[in-house]
Amino acid sequence: MLCQNCGKYEATTHIKQIINGDMAETHLCPDCANHLGYGDMFSGFDFSLSGLLSGFLGDMLPPVSLGPVTRCEKCGCSFDDIARAGKVGCPECYRTFYDRLLPSIQRIHGKISHAGKTGQSAGNREKIETSGEKIAKLRVQMDEAVRVQNFERAAEIRDEIKKLEGENINE
Amino acid sequence: MSKWYAEKGSQSETVISTRIRLARNIDDFVFPCRLDKEGKAKVNELVKKAVFECCGDKYSYISMKDLSHLQAVSLAERHVISPEFTSCEEGTGLIISDDESVSIMICEEDHIRLQVMKSGLALDEAYKIADETDSALDEKLSYAFDERIGYMTSDPTNLGTAMRASVFLHLPALTACGQINAIANTVSKLGLSIGGAYGSRKKPAGDIYQISNRITLGITEETAVANLKSIVMQLINQERSAAEREIKNPALEDKIYRSLGVLENARMLNADEFMELISYVRFGASAGLLDIPVERINALITDMQPATVAVSNEDADTVAKRDARRAELVRQALAG
Ligand SMILES: [Zn+2]
Ligand SMILES: [Zn+2]
Repeated sequence: MLCQNCGKYEATTHIKQIINGDMAETHLCPDCANHLGYGDMFSGFDFSLSGLLSGFLGDMLPPVSLGPVTRCEKCGCSFDDIARAGKVGCPECYRTFYDRLLPSIQRIHGKISHAGKTGQSAGNREKIETSGEKIAKLRVQMDEAVRVQNFERAAEIRDEIKKLEGENINE
Repeated sequence: MSKWYAEKGSQSETVISTRIRLARNIDDFVFPCRLDKEGKAKVNELVKKAVFECCGDKYSYISMKDLSHLQAVSLAERHVISPEFTSCEEGTGLIISDDESVSIMICEEDHIRLQVMKSGLALDEAYKIADETDSALDEKLSYAFDERIGYMTSDPTNLGTAMRASVFLHLPALTACGQINAIANTVSKLGLSIGGAYGSRKKPAGDIYQISNRITLGITEETAVANLKSIVMQLINQERSAAEREIKNPALEDKIYRSLGVLENARMLNADEFMELISYVRFGASAGLLDIPVERINALITDMQPATVAVSNEDADTVAKRDARRAELVRQALAG
């Protein structure tokens, strides 16, 4: 869809608002959105501004996909799907694509460390981690396995690390 | 039952209302954008059951697809639902309290959008109600939550507390003297957003603005609310001193009384003209020039929006009839 203001560029910002008794939609390219004052990052207004995330993530899409596409096991989303919609498909997507979502989340919020209310389900699942953090943890476990001469376990962990590193290179 | 917005709130000369919105998702389900019809129906049932079990009988449930388009738009005009929600897709539902102060959109962008509205400046009170309702629901529903990124939401801009706190302000003096643009710039640098609450964002109808927090990750709910409150208090003071200056201008005084004259006598009023004139009248009332309770004006602003006028009057099926009906209702309200 082309920008409704300039008609030249792809619209990435979609604004919905109530005007004169009806819902009006406006579709703008990033430049025009900025120019018309919709540029500030915001999605919780009484008009809604979607496309912020897709604006961020769009920059990060690879030109051609390398190897098999990773999909979220729970909802089937690929990272492309998320980047295009600007929306994440399910909670599991955050675990699956955390490494790649991280830079955008950082750009939006600055800090990635939840400080507010804690849900009752907290602790039921493993905390979300980057693959770097997972690898560091596995290395410690591998060293421990070697120390107690459980080489079979150490080899398993080594394979797991390799797999994580491989995913990193691919993406 | 009288609606929440007909009550007189704190700082009511400048602050029209306060809103807290929390986004929550149930862990076992994919987010609404990827959820099929059956899944949405299940989420509706789960949320409905949880609310009715924990919060008793002051709530009712509406399946959005049962509403007419006008009824849905009217809810959006009253800020009960978001503009998107007016498309009333299958599988979307609304739970609403008798006085409309607490509402829950089911399967909007997230499974749950819990919202509390209060008259005047009431951030702490509104947050307390939202927090208690949320905790009660959390007992029954298992929320998607992570220690690092907080409440997991469909849009990563809401991660963390997933809380959006908003204050609706009437700022006629700051608008008139042109300071509002500079203020909007400053406010956005402080991690908050400001924009028109009615009509299009660039030209706020009735000089009514909505100011909200933007950052939700790495900050507590209490801090976000306290920051917003302190900025709102500064805006209130700036509006007051601008109003003291502006009100000495005889041309403005004239405009206020003329606006009242038109509203008290007009036989046809369209929504734009009404918003422009009521802003002057509200300015006069909050500056003590006119003896009209601001809460009556607030209720009028809400009730006179296009779809809301149409819904409350089945005969008003054409624009001309609506404008006539609006003029009649305004005359009645101003006559007390
Ligand atoms: Zn454009
Ligand atoms: Zn997913």
